[in-house]
Amino acid sequence: MPLIIKDEYPKKLFREDGKRLDGRDKHELRPIKMEVGVIKNADGSAYLEWGNNKIFAAVYGPRDVHPHHLAKSDRGILRIFYRMATYSVFERKRPAPGRREKEISMVISDCLEPVLFLELYPGTSFEVFIEVIDADGGTRCAGTTVAALALADAGIPMRSLVTSVALGKIDGEIVVDLSGIEDKAGQADLPCAITWFNDQLSLLQFDGDMTLEEMNKCLDLAPDILKRIYEMQLNALKEKYLKIREEVNKSEEIATEGGEQ
Amino acid sequence: MMNVKRVISAIERDYILNNLKKDKRIDGRDLWEYRDFHINVDVVKSAEGSADVTLGDTRIISGLKYEVGEPFPDTPDEGVCTMMAELLPLASPLFEGGPPNEQSIELARVIDRGIRHADCIQTKKLCIRENKAVYILFLDMFVMNYGGNMIDCGGVSCLATLISAHVPEGVFNDENELIWTGKYLNGKHIVNELPFVITFGKIDDIIFMDPNLTEELLSDGSISISVTENKITSIQKSGSATFSIDEIKMLCEKSIEIGKKLRKELDLWQYLIQKA
Amino acid sequence: MENDEDESQDIDDFEEIVESAKEIVVPGETLTEDVNNFIPGRGAIFNRNKTKIISLSIGLKQVRKNYINVIPLRGFYTPRAGDKVLGIVVDKNPVKYRLDINAKDEGILKPKNTMKKERGRFIRGAGGRKPQQQDMAPSSTEVYQIGDVLILKVLSADRLNSPELTTVGKYLGKKMGGTIISIGPYSIPRIIGRGGSMIKMLKNLTKCNIFVTQNGRIWLKGENIESERLLIEAIEKITNEAHTMGLTDRIQEFLESEKKKRGID
Repeated sequence: MPLIIKDEYPKKLFREDGKRLDGRDKHELRPIKMEVGVIKNADGSAYLEWGNNKIFAAVYGPRDVHPHHLAKSDRGILRIFYRMATYSVFERKRPAPGRREKEISMVISDCLEPVLFLELYPGTSFEVFIEVIDADGGTRCAGTTVAALALADAGIPMRSLVTSVALGKIDGEIVVDLSGIEDKAGQADLPCAITWFNDQLSLLQFDGDMTLEEMNKCLDLAPDILKRIYEMQLNALKEKYLKIREEVNKSEEIATEGGEQ
Repeated sequence: MMNVKRVISAIERDYILNNLKKDKRIDGRDLWEYRDFHINVDVVKSAEGSADVTLGDTRIISGLKYEVGEPFPDTPDEGVCTMMAELLPLASPLFEGGPPNEQSIELARVIDRGIRHADCIQTKKLCIRENKAVYILFLDMFVMNYGGNMIDCGGVSCLATLISAHVPEGVFNDENELIWTGKYLNGKHIVNELPFVITFGKIDDIIFMDPNLTEELLSDGSISISVTENKITSIQKSGSATFSIDEIKMLCEKSIEIGKKLRKELDLWQYLIQKA
Repeated sequence: MENDEDESQDIDDFEEIVESAKEIVVPGETLTEDVNNFIPGRGAIFNRNKTKIISLSIGLKQVRKNYINVIPLRGFYTPRAGDKVLGIVVDKNPVKYRLDINAKDEGILKPKNTMKKERGRFIRGAGGRKPQQQDMAPSSTEVYQIGDVLILKVLSADRLNSPELTTVGKYLGKKMGGTIISIGPYSIPRIIGRGGSMIKMLKNLTKCNIFVTQNGRIWLKGENIESERLLIEAIEKITNEAHTMGLTDRIQEFLESEKKKRGID
């Protein structure tokens, strides 16, 4: 008898004051924190905190393909391994990768492939491991965003970054960046990702029900929201280098000041 | 970056060995010194307890989940705690995906045995009703970066996870239904004794503690000793190295001494979380 | 002993780049929209409609005449013919050695490329002698063992085939003693410095022998582990701060003050 406290859905997803349950406005994102270079052994890595989501991504490659029969003689392959830690969800997840994880891995892989020059690396693979440590809705979008950061951190030539976010409908209203509870209790969920070199959508899934007008409204809203996250990605990548530069300048200032005294 | 190689060069091996013979290590430690531990607890909101522990370059994030289930027939009034470790391929180019391999099973088993025989978890307090309902705790470790000596790092991360735990308290009401009191069991309810596991590597006939990645890959073998305040609770020798009886005696003594120091330095009880 | 002064010439003058290029760019970032006056150089391409030039990787933006380049700050090593690399023998069979050279493919070293070809030694007729075994290139792989560290030159490299290597040449061959460390291949020019200034300073102040290769590996050997450790720390500092100015002076200061602190003469 696996007894666990029931996860109950609230009846309403908006508070009295018109804000969402976590206090956000309809088009407000959850707090996002990004960092690159967090896993020393990897060729490139990134960490993302997106609301309660906590995700690590590491890139290895180009390297030999195992098993060997997956290798393509005319181009490299991109392999994504999206995994969730057993303790990242309400009810303990089984350790073996499930169907959901395999599907999401494939969706993210298809999404990121257009930005890479895989034809330049025949017979090899780029492997991206996405590990969700804590999950609270929108992990495939967060996973795509952090995977793009890790690829850029590895110094792999890319046409552009990729950014992803989920839009959706809760209590009849179009909102952005659904949290776990909104995803489960809401009416529609539309995860999408953009490749910035051509400004086109590279990941798109939809579950729920929406009228044509609502769908159009969602799609019109997406670029602006994605742009906001893109700015954070740019900053996170540069931050690592700018911080060191700043520290160096600061220590030099101290040194010269000390010399004058 | 790309520092991890499958074949370690002969000169690196000689270099490390020759310096070990002079009691010197490449990272500046002496033979009986730990790298720095860094501990953060309650990092995973979805888990009933979690810890992010780094030991040098090794990083392990572990989390606790629970279920309520039937006890084992031979221990009708005791809860259960199972451990699992996963060596994520994200953590090192040496790790491959797929089902648990020997190395990850050994990691979980060694830590599990150290904890089990030290009376660390108060299993009797994890019983809700005898013969009927007990807590089943799942303590899962995920290796995020492999920099040598995962066992000691994992051991500390397990203890920190258990201490920072907050498991909802359940009781049976008059109608024999399981209800939740709204209170939480914390580390004080779950943890009794703190066993530390201390690993020593051996290359040729030199023994040193807390091997880093290169030292571990070069080691002929290692020995992990779990100790409580004044007792030894488990020993695991792994790899092809052999140890003399005198060496084992010396290491047991050393372990107790180091365990005492570590207990004081880490002061794990500071991570207790009192949840209303 | 070994010196890389001759090598620093074929590597870009990174010092100058850092002084002239301060802007850090990331993949897909617009470098310029003035496509009439600029051409994408290294690490840059036109976007699809040729309305702007964009960066391919994370790096420093550099404008040289009408070329816009991006000097990468991170990346993997791609072998090019003529590169000097440090390799570890990981496998061998009677016809070739395989070496880990920090690239996606293992390098191949054939026995004929491990010994100088000596032509014209054998003179026919009177006074001549039959070619002796030691005059010939070795026909099997007995010279090196698995685990040996070799300095090699890349003879040929392309996308499809494993790079072919040689140990015949100045400074090439097996390394004895010391140890090796790995850093990002894109930090190597900074370890060498302008005209070899950084590497000379590192050698003088730590009294270590250093050999730097283009695949991001460094062999080093000093008088004691303390000075080697100091050198490794200095190298880590250089790779961390590779994109900052005035690095050579700062490293010199670091080494001098640390030497005093640690009592290394």
